[in-house]
Amino acid sequence: MSVDTIAIPTATTAALATDNHPIVRNEVGLDPMVWQGPALLAGIAQGPGLAVHRGRLGPAPTPSAGELVDLARAVDLRGRGGAGFPSAIKLASANRRKAVVVVNASEGEPASRKDAALMSLAPHVVLDGAAAVAHALGTREVRVVVPSELPSIRAGVAKAVRERVAAGERLKWELHDAAPWFVAGQAQAVLQLLAGKENLPVTAWQPEAVSGHRGRPTLLSNAETFAHLGHLARVGAAGYAAHGTAAEPGTTLVTLRGDGWDPVVREVAFGTPLADVLTAAEMNQPLLLGGYHGTWLKPAQLQGLTVSRMDIAAAGATLGAGVLLPLAAGWCPLLRTEALVDYLAGQSAGRCGPCLNGLPAMAEALGDVVHRGGSILRVEQLCGLVAGRGACAHPDGTARLVTSMLSCFPEEVDLHALGGCRGGGEVFG
Amino acid sequence: MSSHTLRVDWPACTAHGLCAEILPEVVSLDQWGFPIVHEPVTDEVLEMAKAAVKACPTLALRLTQPPKRH
Repeated sequence: MSVDTIAIPTATTAALATDNHPIVRNEVGLDPMVWQGPALLAGIAQGPGLAVHRGRLGPAPTPSAGELVDLARAVDLRGRGGAGFPSAIKLASANRRKAVVVVNASEGEPASRKDAALMSLAPHVVLDGAAAVAHALGTREVRVVVPSELPSIRAGVAKAVRERVAAGERLKWELHDAAPWFVAGQAQAVLQLLAGKENLPVTAWQPEAVSGHRGRPTLLSNAETFAHLGHLARVGAAGYAAHGTAAEPGTTLVTLRGDGWDPVVREVAFGTPLADVLTAAEMNQPLLLGGYHGTWLKPAQLQGLTVSRMDIAAAGATLGAGVLLPLAAGWCPLLRTEALVDYLAGQSAGRCGPCLNGLPAMAEALGDVVHRGGSILRVEQLCGLVAGRGACAHPDGTARLVTSMLSCFPEEVDLHALGGCRGGGEVFG
Repeated sequence: MSSHTLRVDWPACTAHGLCAEILPEVVSLDQWGFPIVHEPVTDEVLEMAKAAVKACPTLALRLTQPPKRH
């Protein structure tokens, strides 16, 4: 796997690099520019190897389960896969006999690059966290789920694991290849993959921390979450709170423009003004916050907004897995949303009736609104109909995207009803 | 008040629609024939809800107690 640590700033990222952040080009086939960060991404310029990692930070921490739960509670650590579930509760629930640790680096959200960046540039930051959790839960079994469409990530993780085994770490690591579709990273879909079944969601009757892989308590979290747990165990609650705010200590990874030009992955402290993360031009554009299952925000809503779960919740959105997609200048938010909904409808696993039928119907009804002066009533009805009626949150997330489009862009909806389009009808890729 | 919730195993459900026939107080069907559970199961209809669970040809229904996460 080739990770080039030479800073190659493009025009855009050079303009963003205001305070001497080294930028690391991450050759995973996706080419996000990854900025050196204050905590998790602090060592990326030195390369991903175990020797430099250990030289910089020392051995992996070994907290007890009680200590780790207390630490996670003290800083209110939340999962970084999108749902934001409190890690302390998950850890405490999974702290029973025969636990399994599962690191989810599958990153099914197509616009997210942060787990790819983390796994390729700082794999041991994640694996230290997984090792710390395994130690705390008294298990040696750690599964790592990697995206099958990015073989360089798998190769990098496999190499990192070999380094750890060679260094004498007594854990049983196993890699699993997630399928290249949107819902593959959903927790129940991951459990299916681990059980040798098709990598698709099934109904969860119990949280996986209670009954997960083969009925065992399973600490399944996003790769970034493990990185935070490892960092937290290493530096303690006070050290962790060196970044962020009193209410929200720590940092979070964000992907900017993850499906557009010049994608960037950054580690930002909670409380960082959005204006420090987006360009001035992007601050004047609508923002799709939280990825393809996210929420549209108007430029007026972005003013004064910070990277903060609470702030963003107050604005009616969620940070999700940290994807920020500013609408490119000249693009129409309705056409953009329509393209995303077409994609999402095609990403239904096709197993749950309301999603299988409802999402294509929603895409068609939205097409009627955008191109044929159709009524939004049908779209609204379908959004209400699919929500909460599936094994996973795919229909809910798609409905959230569409609902936010309707509430954010009423003028554009009216304009389209009259056959107009502010984007000049430009169709994008 | 020990009300239950009727939960659907969505990948298992294939829209036979017996649940809505047996328990119209709680379940209706969408335009594709898949159930919409719009109320909790009260004690008055608990026996019929149990009958609906038993009648489902694909075993896609369960009665759960409320203090459940997820």
